[in-house]
Amino acid sequence: MNWNDIRVLYFRELKSALRERSIVINSILIPIILYPLLFWLMYTGFTFVSGQTSELDSRIVLVNFPAQHEELRRDLANDRRIKIVASPDPLPDLHRARIDAIVEFAPEGQGNFRTKIAYDESRDQSAQARTSVEQKIAAYRQRFLQLTASRLGVSREEFQSFWVESQNVSTERQMGQFVLGLLLPIMLMVMLALGGFYPAVDATAGERENSTWETMMTVGTSRTNIVMAKYLYVATMSAMAALLNVTAMTFSMRTVLAPLGGQIGNMSFQIPLRSLPVIALGVVLMALFIAAGMMTLASFARNFKEGQSMVSPFYLIIILPVSFLQTPGLEFSTRMALIPVVNVTMMFREAITGVFHWPLIALTVAVEIVCVGIALKLATTILGNEDVVTGSYQGSFGKFFKERLMKRNA
Amino acid sequence: MNAPVVVEGLTKTYYDESRGEIRAVDGIHFTCNEGEVFGLLGANGAGKTTTLRMLSTILTPTSGFASLLGHDVVKDPQGVRKNLGFFSASTALYPRLTARETIEFFTRINQYPADLVKERVDTLVERFGISKYADVRVEKLSTGMKQKVSIARTVAHNPQILIFDEPTVGLDVLNALEVQETIKELRNEGKTIIFATHIMSEAERLCNRIAIIHGGRILTCDTLDGLRAATGQRYLEDIFVHFVKGQG
Repeated sequence: MNWNDIRVLYFRELKSALRERSIVINSILIPIILYPLLFWLMYTGFTFVSGQTSELDSRIVLVNFPAQHEELRRDLANDRRIKIVASPDPLPDLHRARIDAIVEFAPEGQGNFRTKIAYDESRDQSAQARTSVEQKIAAYRQRFLQLTASRLGVSREEFQSFWVESQNVSTERQMGQFVLGLLLPIMLMVMLALGGFYPAVDATAGERENSTWETMMTVGTSRTNIVMAKYLYVATMSAMAALLNVTAMTFSMRTVLAPLGGQIGNMSFQIPLRSLPVIALGVVLMALFIAAGMMTLASFARNFKEGQSMVSPFYLIIILPVSFLQTPGLEFSTRMALIPVVNVTMMFREAITGVFHWPLIALTVAVEIVCVGIALKLATTILGNEDVVTGSYQGSFGKFFKERLMKRNA
Repeated sequence: MNAPVVVEGLTKTYYDESRGEIRAVDGIHFTCNEGEVFGLLGANGAGKTTTLRMLSTILTPTSGFASLLGHDVVKDPQGVRKNLGFFSASTALYPRLTARETIEFFTRINQYPADLVKERVDTLVERFGISKYADVRVEKLSTGMKQKVSIARTVAHNPQILIFDEPTVGLDVLNALEVQETIKELRNEGKTIIFATHIMSEAERLCNRIAIIHGGRILTCDTLDGLRAATGQRYLEDIFVHFVKGQG
């Protein structure tokens, strides 16, 4: 390999790419602007819908209301979201959505009562009615008990015996890292795949479509140098998209999640500095793997469009397993460290939250290096094949693998 | 002294699922001398492009031998490419680079001395009359302008051997004549040029020697006068038909 030639070829690829609108949009603008914006819109929409649901009026029918607890009726009536209505036949009315809940009181002796709330879980408005009524009754019950206990001269400690109080000891920064750990790894993978997608197709099928492949094949440098330069260029674009996105998301996360309100508003979304080398290492390894995989598939395409459809399945292969990893309780184990792509995602998640299992990180790196090696070997073999390079090979990757590579090794 | 281009028994076979084994080039022999334009004349599908692709190391020969300035096309493909400028209808330019960037890139990647690259680029821009649009992206140039940039990038590293495969396809008469003039100039500079075409008048006007290729075989190879004497025909078109029909 001649690194000077690779450098000349690499910068040629990069210069061309940065002048191509679709590549600039997909590898630079989308990671920085579009995804944070989409997330913000998504959360805003989610909050809006939740808000709309909580603002719905709850039409309830009270049945056998105990006269001693008139204060509870006042509580219910004073809530502007609750409307107490009358119905001679409440159950059919509930089924027909004319009312949202039936609150039936059954006497239990000594003025006590048991409440049964009938509602329709399939309707948001009905489910909301149930929650509102339950909260009202629970608050009334607490107040009622305290008042009764106080009249009897019994303190809170005496009548409650024990109670539970929860305290979240995690700092705002830790909570922010936890949220980032759930969201960023999958975003990184999506961006790595998206960032490499267009450059991989452009560097292979695009060259064929523009008839520049043959020009390239006659220059005074080895084909290995040409393939290596293209490979590094695709990997660069992939890694750049991921790193730009992670930076943009980190800075915009508070704004993005602000519509959710509550504790999120106070969270600090900062990735620990010592995590950055681990994240960068994972990004580089994944970018190298993705570049080799995508270039291998795209090299069989005769034009850009065909290249896009050939690379799409690989894109899904990268994204699908990762999308199952958003469950908070999932642990980074040895078994997980052996699964390509999944291992890097878990490594990202832990690094973002400031956790480092070095043996698992080492295993992940080793597995990914092997994967990159295999993918790169495959890519150089295919891109060194004259039938593929000249476009005279008419089959797919699968056919080539079976007919040429398997037979050769047999 | 050895000829700059030596071709001996060069063969290329393909396997096609429906048609079986196809011999695109079938054991051809020829040599090209320094400072001559060697014409490869043949109809479409005769084997011209496959031959030139083997000489430029895009394709690997199935059998036979070919060397350019002593570099074997199989054993030393990089050595071949460093000394070769290859131009064909299927060797396009990078649309998003400017004319100047294109020439500079091909000068560098073809191992021209780094400290002389700028000077070389300026010379080529001047020589081929590209100055006015040197900093315009190739995608915005007309066909004629692109053709000039293409020739400039072909000779960017000042190679001793040049291959032109149907260089005037798609050009209007004036642009085609300009390309022919450039090829003549390059010959006069002592370059060895292989010129493949199916246009008889071009071959008549430019070539010192002409090889007629048909069905992957070279049917004859001689100067235009030699071919006239051998066939008794005056026009190259008639000479071509004479050999091809004689083969049939």
